[in-house]
Amino acid sequence: MEKIINRYNYSWLFLLCATLMTASCRKEALLNAKPSTSLVIPSSIQDFQAILDATLTMNVTPSLGEASADNYYLTDTKFQSAQPVVQNTYLWAKDIFGASTNIDDWNYPYEQVFNANVVLEGLAKMQATASNQQDINTLTGYALFYRAYAFFNVAQVFAPPYDSTTASSDLGIPLRLSSDITAPSIRATVKDTYAQIIDDLNRACKLTPTALPTANRNRPSRPAVYACLARVYQSMRAYKEAGAAADSALQLYSSLIDYNTVAVATLPFKNNNAETIFQSNFSSYAQTLIPVIGIAIIDSNLYRSYAANDLRLSLYFRVVSGVPGPRGGYSGSLFTFSGLATDELYLIRAESYARAGQASLAMADLNTLLSKRFTTGTFIPYTATDAADALQQILAERRKELELRGGLRWMDLRRLNKEGYNITLTRVVNGQTYTLPPNSPLYTLPIPPDVITLSGITQNAR
Amino acid sequence: MQIKLLMKLTAIFLTMAFLNVSAEGSSQTVTFSGRNVPLKKVFTAIERQTGFVVFYNYDHLEQANPVTISEKDLPLVSFLQKLFRDQPLDFVIKNKTIVITHKSPAPGLPGPQDNDAGQSQPVTGTVTDSSGVPLAGATITLKRTKTFVTANQDGQFTVQANMGDVLVVSFVGFQSREIRIGSAALGRILLKRYVSSLSGVEVRSYNTGYQQIPKERATGAFAIVDNELINRSVSINVLDRLENVTSGVAFNKNIIVNRAYQQINQATIAIRGRSTINSNPNSLVILDNFPYDGDLSTINPNDVESITVLKDAAASSIWGAFSGNGVIVITTKKGKYNQPLKVSVNGNFTIAAKPDLHYQPWMSSADYIEIEQFLYGKGFYNSTLSGNAYSQVSPVVQLLADQTAGTVTADQVTAQLNTYRNQDVRDDVGKYFFRKEDRQQYSVNLSGGDSHDKYYFSGGYDYDLPNLTYNNYKRVTVKGGNVFSLWKQKIEITTDVQFNQSTTTLNNTGSYGTSLPYMKLADANGNALAVPYTYRQTYTDTAGQGKLLDWTYRPLDELRNASNVTLLTDYHINLGLKYRIIKGLEASFLYQYSKGNSDDEVYNSLATWYTRNMINSFSQINWTTGAITRPIPLGGILDKTQNNYESNNVRGLLTYANTFDGGHALTVLAGAEVRKNDAFTSSYRLYGYDPSTTTSFNMDYVDLFTQYTASYSQQIPSNIYNLGTVNNYISYFANAGYTYNERYTITGSARRDESNLFGVNTNQKGVPLWSAGAAWNISHENFYHVDWLPNLKFRLTDGYQGNVNPGVAALTTATYGGANNVYGAQQASISNLPNPTLRWEKVNQVNMAIDFASIHNTISGSIDYYIKKGTDLIAPSPLDPTTGATSFTGNTGDMKAHGLDVTINTINLKGRLKWYTTFLFNYALDEVTVYKANKGSIGIYTGTGFLNPNVGHPLYSLYSFKWAGLDSVGNPRAILDGKTSEDYANIYNSTNFDNLKYDGPINPPIFGSIRNTFTWKQLSFSFLLSYKFGFYFRRPSISYSTLYSTAGGYGGTADYERRWQKPGDELRTIVPSMVYPLDPYRDGFYLNSTALVEKGDYIRLQDLQFSYDLTKKQVTGLPFETVRFYVYANNIGLLWKANHSGIDPDFVPQNAGLTYPNPRSISTGIKLDF
Repeated sequence: MEKIINRYNYSWLFLLCATLMTASCRKEALLNAKPSTSLVIPSSIQDFQAILDATLTMNVTPSLGEASADNYYLTDTKFQSAQPVVQNTYLWAKDIFGASTNIDDWNYPYEQVFNANVVLEGLAKMQATASNQQDINTLTGYALFYRAYAFFNVAQVFAPPYDSTTASSDLGIPLRLSSDITAPSIRATVKDTYAQIIDDLNRACKLTPTALPTANRNRPSRPAVYACLARVYQSMRAYKEAGAAADSALQLYSSLIDYNTVAVATLPFKNNNAETIFQSNFSSYAQTLIPVIGIAIIDSNLYRSYAANDLRLSLYFRVVSGVPGPRGGYSGSLFTFSGLATDELYLIRAESYARAGQASLAMADLNTLLSKRFTTGTFIPYTATDAADALQQILAERRKELELRGGLRWMDLRRLNKEGYNITLTRVVNGQTYTLPPNSPLYTLPIPPDVITLSGITQNAR
Repeated sequence: MQIKLLMKLTAIFLTMAFLNVSAEGSSQTVTFSGRNVPLKKVFTAIERQTGFVVFYNYDHLEQANPVTISEKDLPLVSFLQKLFRDQPLDFVIKNKTIVITHKSPAPGLPGPQDNDAGQSQPVTGTVTDSSGVPLAGATITLKRTKTFVTANQDGQFTVQANMGDVLVVSFVGFQSREIRIGSAALGRILLKRYVSSLSGVEVRSYNTGYQQIPKERATGAFAIVDNELINRSVSINVLDRLENVTSGVAFNKNIIVNRAYQQINQATIAIRGRSTINSNPNSLVILDNFPYDGDLSTINPNDVESITVLKDAAASSIWGAFSGNGVIVITTKKGKYNQPLKVSVNGNFTIAAKPDLHYQPWMSSADYIEIEQFLYGKGFYNSTLSGNAYSQVSPVVQLLADQTAGTVTADQVTAQLNTYRNQDVRDDVGKYFFRKEDRQQYSVNLSGGDSHDKYYFSGGYDYDLPNLTYNNYKRVTVKGGNVFSLWKQKIEITTDVQFNQSTTTLNNTGSYGTSLPYMKLADANGNALAVPYTYRQTYTDTAGQGKLLDWTYRPLDELRNASNVTLLTDYHINLGLKYRIIKGLEASFLYQYSKGNSDDEVYNSLATWYTRNMINSFSQINWTTGAITRPIPLGGILDKTQNNYESNNVRGLLTYANTFDGGHALTVLAGAEVRKNDAFTSSYRLYGYDPSTTTSFNMDYVDLFTQYTASYSQQIPSNIYNLGTVNNYISYFANAGYTYNERYTITGSARRDESNLFGVNTNQKGVPLWSAGAAWNISHENFYHVDWLPNLKFRLTDGYQGNVNPGVAALTTATYGGANNVYGAQQASISNLPNPTLRWEKVNQVNMAIDFASIHNTISGSIDYYIKKGTDLIAPSPLDPTTGATSFTGNTGDMKAHGLDVTINTINLKGRLKWYTTFLFNYALDEVTVYKANKGSIGIYTGTGFLNPNVGHPLYSLYSFKWAGLDSVGNPRAILDGKTSEDYANIYNSTNFDNLKYDGPINPPIFGSIRNTFTWKQLSFSFLLSYKFGFYFRRPSISYSTLYSTAGGYGGTADYERRWQKPGDELRTIVPSMVYPLDPYRDGFYLNSTALVEKGDYIRLQDLQFSYDLTKKQVTGLPFETVRFYVYANNIGLLWKANHSGIDPDFVPQNAGLTYPNPRSISTGIKLDF
């Protein structure tokens, strides 16, 4: 009897051990199970595309430049109710942010840079095959474009305007080229900043598809890369290169919308409208800086400069209680459009022609654009006496066409004042007048204080 | 109706009480006659006639001769004396118990065979039970000579013996002990009761979910809530019954579940304070051996036998990485071997009063209208009125605008305003949205067993009509369990099945669609009236010129048309196999399968505003053709959400428990378990849904549709959401306890948990945790002679508990978003930055404790002091935003906490009227010691809706702006950088934390209860006082910015009447003047300043409980074994509170909405045992 029990003892122990061993066989499978279906370690083409398609992160641009520019003004009452950051920006105060942290104008572009770097590094690790090589190339091009676009947008607000004489000593922006969060942030020179942007765009140019993704205008393309290059060169006052890039873009995509076909509505344009080459918006946070409805009032001189038969009067502005306010532009939403579009390209190319002395080519481009902006049958093509006259007309029309368009006015103020245009901005608040003289250091905004504290980079002198 | 029932029940109780008195009085005599009857038979007769219990050993009976006796109505004592006159036996009567003892040999007579008289000497000692009560009549036998003596009334004895002799001390119902004589004074000799020999006396042991630990051998901190205590209160949810009766367990109030974007991560139940920041704050709940993955509300409290709370590391670290927040072990009822069928039926009714909607003092409707008139005069509403046609305005503003426009006369306006002034929306809300709660609970269970099988079956039904009308709750629970004992009790097979199902109808959320204090919701006939909602009435009246659906919002119709039903189904299957290999060694295998499903269906029919609004918002009318297009079809909208979970638990366990000669007791346990929990959530929406045909329409979820108001365009929400989660754990564990001589115990445990933490190297997937403990029963020592304190034990433990946070990962991870982007493409965001050093959170806890009991247990209790240190806590730390992220979540936070758990039980009266008191005192205060995230501005810290850890203070703390009174024009003044200031924006945005005052903790660091229980015969009455001290809250006051909000903000508090109005008022009020235009920072400063901070301290009379038991013994012919009638009154009210604002600190009103304390309730019930 005793023996029988003993035998059973061992068989029981054996059974127990067997159970434990079975468990340990499945151990690896159990411990490697993905804890949530929504979680991935980004590693596939689909994952990377999904990261770049997160439009609310990837297609958002800074707005403090536009907030500093002169397309709009605030009444005393609206000024009073605005946040301190808005008030300080509006008045070009030396210190804008006070204790505010998490400034979208800095954080969003750098989040785009991080995501682009994650994608670039992930794609580099992928095993290229005949079937995925095309996708790897395309997405690499996309990521390079996003990184360049983000760097450029940050540079327009937080780095001094490009000046070829001082660019190699002026402090630009940190150029983060890897996703390693432990790597330090160091400000590159303005020269290196722009060199990096142009290098990324040139690489992206070879990799991106030539056709515009008309159903997904949030995605880059070769026309978008050229359009961005045109804008970059223009900001650097490299007008020849700007014109060439604009021309390359227009060769690939040149649709214009005849505004006669657009119905006046709260939001007349859709986000996939024909002129959009690359869709991006001011961040929703920035909406408190330049709210579309009810707060910002369009500069009176600017508003008056539109002719009565100019369709943009009703499609760009909404008059409430006799006061003109902005509509949403090409975003198809309350957000302000800040992306790349064909109208800007025509204007860049026209300006390039004018500066090269080719007045007729310049006016031809201008008229091509403007013919779509006036009531049918009422448009009389513009003429110019010479190239200088053409340039003046183009710059005037540029401001009217691209009002509140992603900080382009701010970019223009920075570059044109470098050329002696001598534009002084003034604001009047509570009877007191504030001015922003040309080429003032205040044209470079302060880097957010939390960034300075945590990274130790040099603050802009203002 | 219910009151009548109550009166009837009371009458029955009283009648029964009188009956019982007479029964008791007549039972002290014995009538018996017989010749040569065995003693045993006589004892049976005594027991039957007197209700006394007779204790004896079989050797007593062997020594006794049969008796011949004939007596009628002889008093018990005389009868016994007569009975034992010629017997070698004697007796002692104590507490209705007759203990049979040996007759002491006559003093001075030497014992037989006492050969060594020369060396023998008198040896003395005292025999007591573990509570210090002398055991009169205990037998002390000298093993060598077999001579014996009997202990006297005080348990004392003297025996002639030699040094080195062995004494055997024995007493009926107690375990015998052998004692080797080392000195002439043996001191106290403790005898332990046999577990099964004395019914009604509970030998307590703690259930850890793995094993039962006898109380005497425990080193850790446990709290046990026994069946009696669980059933003291009446509730649907079992965990509610732990409140105020469990040492070290706090029930946090005023919990903000989820505000703005940030989860404040508070736990409702906190065991020994807080030791985590962003990770799971909830305690682990174990139901019958395994973690409970279902919804706790589905457990039937009537099936619960006991609840053990594991508090310190030694107690809970057997649960390893899940134990950081303490463990609650729920043990359900089982049958008993060799017990005839027992049936128990329990039923109760609860009525709770209608909530007091006027608890929160609102500003009067007249005042509110006055403000609207004032603002209208200032042109405040101009932009709204002249802007788009649809923005909502209040009826008063509309009336004033109409007056300006000349469409109504001044008289009409005055008349209408007077009507509004006399209306209070709470009248209609109280009438139509609230009611008395009516709750019923029934349960029946059957249990029993023979020598091979024990069983327990139960069913329960709960039905609740809660305070909110149109809501109800139903629950059905079924449980069945069997334990089979096979093969000479070497194998035990356990099967247990539980099925729970509940239906919750939540048609009334308590919100009624308007924040205007003067609205009426129903006309005199109870027909629903419209209130302004989202759009202006003039707009909805004319929009679409009759082509759109009715766009008005009638709160009462919304209530009547709502349909929101959640069906919760949950079942558990337990299988257990236990095999006794050799004496003390057992192998067991446990398996649990659980599956649960919650199915929520929200059906918004075409009658509801929600659906009408959705359809209208997307409608477009072509005014040329008059055609209307509706991208959302006519018909209802159905939202369905399903949550499923399935879990498998497998455990293999080897246990060894044995006692060895020489007083060694050893228990060892080792095992491994695998847990796998899969959950899946999915939701979808159907448009144009017709419940009768269950048909719906295909929708276009991609295109953007311009909204009817033309303010923007958007996609039709698909509400499609799917998410699956998998949590796998593999654990290995072992623990051991060793006790020597019932004096010294050491325990140790170790456990390693591994899980499928994402993106971690395999060697980092696990965490090893350990604990060690020691206990010393000093009162068992020979040198211990404190007679008044016969029980004294010290405990000391140290160890690590862990906490799980599946939300973090070590590699860069991305999360796919639920919705596509505006172009219809899938999107993903980077959700986790790479963190190669990610570790598990650890909590170190040291516990020092004393357990004590005075003689007769007059005062007993325990005092536990603990120190907790949480390290490697998952917390965010700031990151240079240039990296692409603003914060990094990793093991960057630390916390510490210390506290005291005191439990004192006293027996104040012992006679016929008994009076017991249980006093619970808890102190628990935590402190954040390391937290690296950016502090930001002090303004953020004044908000209580955010998790704002601040080093040096408790995790949940109240912070305020420094208040310096009102100035001479009624503006609030702050102290900013040492000076008074009215620069409100800069006060709010200040980063100098010297400008912020730490008021104190939000959760009470001191809390506890005093429970008094009185019993008189079968009547029992108890009441419970609870108290909380040392915490703070902020009372709401007038917020002009809310008041001014165009849509008609919440009316604000009655503090408006106390506002500054004229110079000099600043001396008597703290309420700032009303100003226009408004500075929102001015409001924000006042509302979050120290001026409104109140002390939370209070003492509450929580409940009263009354029960009356009738047993078969008292009432012959009673068809039941026992009948218990009980009455339980809950939420009785505050006895004292520190604040003078009329606020119950457990129910602090928020600035908007209706807050009210839990209404008083009374439950009556009956429990029958067959």
